Amino acid sequence: MIRLAFRNLFQNRTRLAISVGGVSLALLLILALDAIFTGVERQTTAFIDNSGADIFVAQKDVRNMHMASSSLPVTAIDEVKAIEGVEEVTAILYTGNMIVVGEERTLAYIIGLPEDAEMGVPWKIASGKEIPEAGEAIIDERVAQKSGIEIGDTVEILAREFKVVGFSEETTNIVNSIAFISASDFQAQRGNSGVVSYLLVRVKPGVGIEAVVSRIEQEVDGVTALPRASFSGQEARVVKDMSTDVLAIMNSIGVLIGLAVMALTVYTAVLSRRREFGVLKALGARNGHLYQAVLAQALMSVLLGFTIGLAFTLLISAVIPRLGLSMTLEISRASLIKVGIVSLVITAFSAILPIRQIAGLDPAIVFRGK
Amino acid sequence: MTTSTLQIDHVTKRYGAGDTEVTAVRDVSLSVKPGEIVLIMGPSGSGKTTLLSMLGALLKPTDGEIHLNGAVISALAENRLPDIRLKQFGFVFQDFNLLSALTALENVSIVAELAGNKAAAARQKAASILTELGLGERLNFLPEKLSGGEKQRVAIARALINDPALILADEPTANLDSKIGHEIMRLLRRIAKEQGRSVVIVSHDQRIKDIADRVLWLEDGEFKETVTMAIDPVCGMSVEREKAISVEWDGKVYSFCAQGCRDEFVNDPQKFIVAVS
Repeated sequence: MIRLAFRNLFQNRTRLAISVGGVSLALLLILALDAIFTGVERQTTAFIDNSGADIFVAQKDVRNMHMASSSLPVTAIDEVKAIEGVEEVTAILYTGNMIVVGEERTLAYIIGLPEDAEMGVPWKIASGKEIPEAGEAIIDERVAQKSGIEIGDTVEILAREFKVVGFSEETTNIVNSIAFISASDFQAQRGNSGVVSYLLVRVKPGVGIEAVVSRIEQEVDGVTALPRASFSGQEARVVKDMSTDVLAIMNSIGVLIGLAVMALTVYTAVLSRRREFGVLKALGARNGHLYQAVLAQALMSVLLGFTIGLAFTLLISAVIPRLGLSMTLEISRASLIKVGIVSLVITAFSAILPIRQIAGLDPAIVFRGK
Repeated sequence: MTTSTLQIDHVTKRYGAGDTEVTAVRDVSLSVKPGEIVLIMGPSGSGKTTLLSMLGALLKPTDGEIHLNGAVISALAENRLPDIRLKQFGFVFQDFNLLSALTALENVSIVAELAGNKAAAARQKAASILTELGLGERLNFLPEKLSGGEKQRVAIARALINDPALILADEPTANLDSKIGHEIMRLLRRIAKEQGRSVVIVSHDQRIKDIADRVLWLEDGEFKETVTMAIDPVCGMSVEREKAISVEWDGKVYSFCAQGCRDEFVNDPQKFIVAVS
């Protein structure tokens, strides 16, 4: 029956192209959207993931950076440093602002770094310095390319001019970018010298991160401490929460398109072979045999569609970075599992009507010349 | 104890009820022996298709019983009939009814696979039967690449693959020219006689009478006339025993198409008796 399904599927190339094309388009929609949002999540958490910190300490009840504001007294730096198991602390300043070049304005998170920062610095430098000094800024390479900025040019950040001394990589996402300036400049511009935004903590080798997190929260007033992975997870969740509805709607559209195309093509395929299925029934095939053939045919179409959809998504994810777009596509395992399940659902539902057709088929049709 | 492959006793099939009730087959009885070829003829609407459907376990009679090799198949539950059709019957159809996406070999082997044979064994058996039927060079051809006669031979191979006791043929020559149609009928006769399989044919084609052992005329759902066919021992023509000129010789009745053949036979019976036997 599997062979019959295979032959039936490939005999009518036009129908095959429509069904596989429709399914691959629908699954491509789902996969690509997932990949975009996974990419956005990854980009959004890139600073945290690459900060080098084991623990992020923020103002009490602040658990992420995106669209959040954290303010800690500078005294917290020494208090955290004094906690057993803490090896190093880097205090950073953080706010959302713009990188302005002439008329070009790019949304950016501004990170103020101390001169001796060991954590939170740009993790990948395309060219120039790694840590900015007073009056200097490090901006993302793509922002620089877009604005026509070279090393040594000036940009406006926090309403003052900075000399660009380095270009970072992987610090731009679909929404905004990251710019690094010195902590002293940051404080001077914002006029809040007694506070920092976050403390990036590295623990001593062999010390449990969770234990240090507990000690920080117990011994330092007004702070929330989270392991880096948890802090990153919270950041990703904010993005996810914002995109869930969009994803759900687009995924539903994808499922409906796939289902409609598959249901129609499998149904017409079975209808066109109604007599042949009747012949098989007359010869002694059981309904179960015929259901197998229909399901196998639907499954093969969906698997082909899935493969083509995945191949196109991989192609798009490889091409997009080369186009200079501030977007990366990442296909996650969860997304593959989800699309796999969607594919199986499409297979099952598209086969329901044809199976009902076959179940009701009278094998005596073969003697009636219909 | 029966010696018949197929035995139908007082079978009736009615459709509908009350004012709209139609009796398609009315109190029909028939017995078909192993190796016997029975031809059922009759006008359109006479009940041939309904009778054939009942014989093939595709339709249950309203009354009466159908026995196959002594077992009552008309009383079997619906879910047991596919197995009976698969293993006990071979079907040959007017339109060949081959699966268009499968090759000749696959069209035959799929039926063996349905009966539980492994794919390799099924293909081997299918290839052997097709080769025997002269299609050894056409095994991997799709039906669209085969002539009408070749398609019907594939259909016959498919009918034979599970060694059925009974072959049911519905207008097997209707879509074939006379030469090919005759070849197909001779093939069916050879299968019946050499392999001892019973063959029931429903057809309008008068030429099929030549190969039949018995011809039944179905009209208004009833057998009106039974014609027993015999071969003229002199010229080899098929003749209706009841209407033919006949001669009794050595305790056996011989039938002839014409007086000339009869006279030739009477002059030297021994010469022709060997040919008949």
